[in-house]
Amino acid sequence: MKPLRRLIESRFWVLTVKEIGQILRNKQLIFLLVFPPTVQLLIFGLALNPDVQNLKLGVVDYSNTPMSRELVSALTANGVFQVDRAPPNEQILGEQVRRGEVTTGLVIPPTFNRDLKSDHSAEVQVLIDAVDANTAGIASGYAAQIINQFSQKLAPQSSAAIETQATILYNPGLVSSWFIVPGVLGLVLNLGSSLVSTATVVREKDTGTLEQLLMTPAAAWEIILAKVVPLFVLLLGEVMLAVTVATLVFHVPFRGNFFLFMGFSGLYICVGIGIGFLLATISRSQQQAILTSFFINLPLIQLSGAIAPIESMPRFFQILSLFNPLRHYVKIARSLLLKGSGLDVLYPEALALTAFAIALLAISTYKFRTQLS
Amino acid sequence: MIQKTVASSAIPEARDPSLASLDDVIRVVGLHKHYDRVAAVRGVDFAVKRGEVFGLIGPDGAGKTTTFHILGGVMEATTGDVKVLGQPPRDARLMIGYLTQQFSLYLDLSIDENLRYVSGLRQVPDRQFSERREKYLRLMNLENFGDRLAGELSGGMKQKLALCCALISQPQVLLLDEPTTGVDPVSRREFWDVLAALASEEGVTIVVATPYLDEAERCNRIGLMYDGQIQQIGTPAELRNSLGLYRLEVHTLQLQAAEQVLTEASESGSIADVQTFGDRLDVLVNDPQIGEAEVRELFQQHHLQAATIDLAEPTLENVFVTRLRQQGSAPQSLAFPRSRGGNRDVTKNSSSDFAIYSHNLNRNFGSFQAVKNVNVEVRYGEIFGLLGANGAGKTTTIKMLCGLLPESSGDISLGGERGNLRSSELRRRIGYMSQKFTLYDDLTILQNLEFYSGIYGVPRRLRREKIDWVIATCGLEGRETLITGQLPGGWKQRVAFGASVMHEPDILFLDEPTSGVDPLARRQFWKLINDFARNGTAILVTTHYLEEAEQCNRMSFMVAGEIVTEGSPSQIKASQPGQLIEVITDQTQAASNLLKQQMESWRVSIFADRLHVVVDDPDRDIPNLRSRLDAANLTVHSLRPIPFSLEDAFIGVVQRSAHATPKEPQPS
Repeated sequence: MKPLRRLIESRFWVLTVKEIGQILRNKQLIFLLVFPPTVQLLIFGLALNPDVQNLKLGVVDYSNTPMSRELVSALTANGVFQVDRAPPNEQILGEQVRRGEVTTGLVIPPTFNRDLKSDHSAEVQVLIDAVDANTAGIASGYAAQIINQFSQKLAPQSSAAIETQATILYNPGLVSSWFIVPGVLGLVLNLGSSLVSTATVVREKDTGTLEQLLMTPAAAWEIILAKVVPLFVLLLGEVMLAVTVATLVFHVPFRGNFFLFMGFSGLYICVGIGIGFLLATISRSQQQAILTSFFINLPLIQLSGAIAPIESMPRFFQILSLFNPLRHYVKIARSLLLKGSGLDVLYPEALALTAFAIALLAISTYKFRTQLS
Repeated sequence: MIQKTVASSAIPEARDPSLASLDDVIRVVGLHKHYDRVAAVRGVDFAVKRGEVFGLIGPDGAGKTTTFHILGGVMEATTGDVKVLGQPPRDARLMIGYLTQQFSLYLDLSIDENLRYVSGLRQVPDRQFSERREKYLRLMNLENFGDRLAGELSGGMKQKLALCCALISQPQVLLLDEPTTGVDPVSRREFWDVLAALASEEGVTIVVATPYLDEAERCNRIGLMYDGQIQQIGTPAELRNSLGLYRLEVHTLQLQAAEQVLTEASESGSIADVQTFGDRLDVLVNDPQIGEAEVRELFQQHHLQAATIDLAEPTLENVFVTRLRQQGSAPQSLAFPRSRGGNRDVTKNSSSDFAIYSHNLNRNFGSFQAVKNVNVEVRYGEIFGLLGANGAGKTTTIKMLCGLLPESSGDISLGGERGNLRSSELRRRIGYMSQKFTLYDDLTILQNLEFYSGIYGVPRRLRREKIDWVIATCGLEGRETLITGQLPGGWKQRVAFGASVMHEPDILFLDEPTSGVDPLARRQFWKLINDFARNGTAILVTTHYLEEAEQCNRMSFMVAGEIVTEGSPSQIKASQPGQLIEVITDQTQAASNLLKQQMESWRVSIFADRLHVVVDDPDRDIPNLRSRLDAANLTVHSLRPIPFSLEDAFIGVVQRSAHATPKEPQPS
């Protein structure tokens, strides 16, 4: 009981009680911690889908034989392409692609059936609208793959090359939301923790109570820690909420240890709060803090691999991203949720996060003391 | 609509005829305003005529600000009829200028940009804008600062600029809610001279609230407001006469003892009230002869030095205080629950050791030198006043002395500590109340007090007692769970003061603790401050109420970052050059305008219903003065030499220094 009594008598406790009082009075803050993260998870998880489906296909089939129709139906079988129209000639088809009415055009020459029968290689022409380079790449890949399979089926013996048998691990259905959602979880946590902690410090500065606080015997670390603790608890709640949405709505598997995951999330909350405090101590007003936080948070998110894979970035940025704490957290979240990895695998990321948290909180504590001058 | 406004302000006679016949620019009948369950205004009736200056005075929380909100069309009345220029306030708002305690300026825009913005918003045509801009800036003495940022102006200049902004659309009605709170005496005088000119020369109707009762004397009529109702309306003279009391000015060197003796006697006999005003006591009596005899007798009985007693009319402040006491709303003076038995041992054995000390203290902000070679020495048990106009560098000095702001050069010692002013041990012995915002607006009063008592390490078993003391002293029993942000400004100051002394500090910094606080509560404040000093606390205080400053043991006057005069109040007053003449005429404002045409304007100032004039050679100048006033057909009731008050000394010192070196406002 004695340590408990000591705690309740301490300045730290008094400061914490004050912070909790202010948070409870601030309905907006609690709303902001619950509503936007849920919406963000849902929007990103549902809308951010790299798969390509229902591409409009224009077909000019000069051959018009069962074989050519079979090719067309092979292309449309898995829903990637959908026959939208069948223009009479390739000039019109080209025009339609140019106007963006169809994304892909397929021209089957009149000799198609004859060539195949006479063991010649047959040629088909594929036109792809590459304004959206990503979609175009995927469409062209699909088209090539499907046409390849089609020709192999026709002449299996002629091109008996290496056949790949890929086994897809951890995400056998290749559900893209399983990749996105843990990333967005990191994004949401980063925004939540840094914005909320900036707000609590800058508000004291804006209203002038900070000066009074600095005149009290409370040490800078006590003031900072008292601000961290209630936010920490709140943000852990936010993590649980986000995990619930991820598992219930998106059926993301939770293969790792729950407590380990919460521990890592706690670590990242400290990092986020540290970023927020640092921002608050270098800003003069609420407005300045918010603008600066955009400048910091957006690159953090872009370079974290939360939305776009790190492997697709130029080499320089891949290295740069190692200095991004969010990258490490996103990696942890994905491995832990999808693969069930433990500390034995994730310790480099854990060490990195610990280092970030200590450095950021130490710098902001130091800055906090000297910020009035 | 806009066209109409411009036309009507150009030819005031051409306004709505029904209004002209009524002659009342503002009419309020049966006004009520409720917030949830709380009734802020409970049946207010008054009318204000064109060109009249109408003052609303009353204690904090009387409902003045609510009344202003409704008059300005910012808020709807719960019930009652409010007409401004014959229209509901909301429809008349283009013809209303509104000014609050908070600076309603864009601090990152220059003076010109602020004015242009407001005039654009109010659609003032360009030609008229430049005309008015020039006129009003000259009136406020701001014409040379057009491109200075509003954020770099001193408090007094900001309020004058805010008034300019309110005037740029030439409103017919000005609503001013405590516009001079926190503004220094010199700027306050200039501000009121402008108001007087606007009302008399341009027929602007002005409704103003003020906690300074010497300002209220300059209103044409006054409504004394208390507890959501107007208790009394009349001219200042009518209000003073209605009291039926006479005022004896008792000058004595043993103020404190005399006050105690007379206060005890006031419970019986003919003495109705006793108040300390700087270096004198005001004793209100039912009958002047009997009263004077009684005072003299009491002085003899208690072996006090014989006093000089002058008979005078009661002041508005006397009216205010007496009426409120009759209402039973005077704040209680409760003894502070001490748990440490004061700091007496410190006083005894370390007389050579200063509680607060600085030597050649300097602070630069860029190329601007805010504080120049300031020396401060405050002993334990001493009240030290740091006085100066807005922007003189007082707050910067205080911030350096208590370690919030590093000094550019110089030595500081605080509570015997030289190097580290930021140690937790030291700060536990220090109390600090900054100009504003010391409480958390989003917490309840109780939560705030619990927080401050806890953080200063007041032992848990004593906390309850001290918190109860603060709440009782502030008269907030039963309202502890109110959100602090909802308290009126003056009340917040009281709670903030309580919060800063709960831990019985050895050293107390008070930066304008009484600004915006009503006269009764201010008196209570100073009782407490004196009580802490007697128990060995070193107190450094700033204030814009110079009569309060008389209670300091020693003081320094700062002008433009430098200390120009220091000493005890009587030393400072005695060192003033020239002679002070008090002039009472039937038209104070007119007399002031006349004399200012012929003398440097700082030599003439209006004190309530009289003029104070500083002359260099009394033998030559007094007859001169009289003949000038006579020549202008002004009836002189009285013209006599009087001793300098601290406020006269302040104005003289500040103005003489300011004329020697051009005054630089301090960026905040």
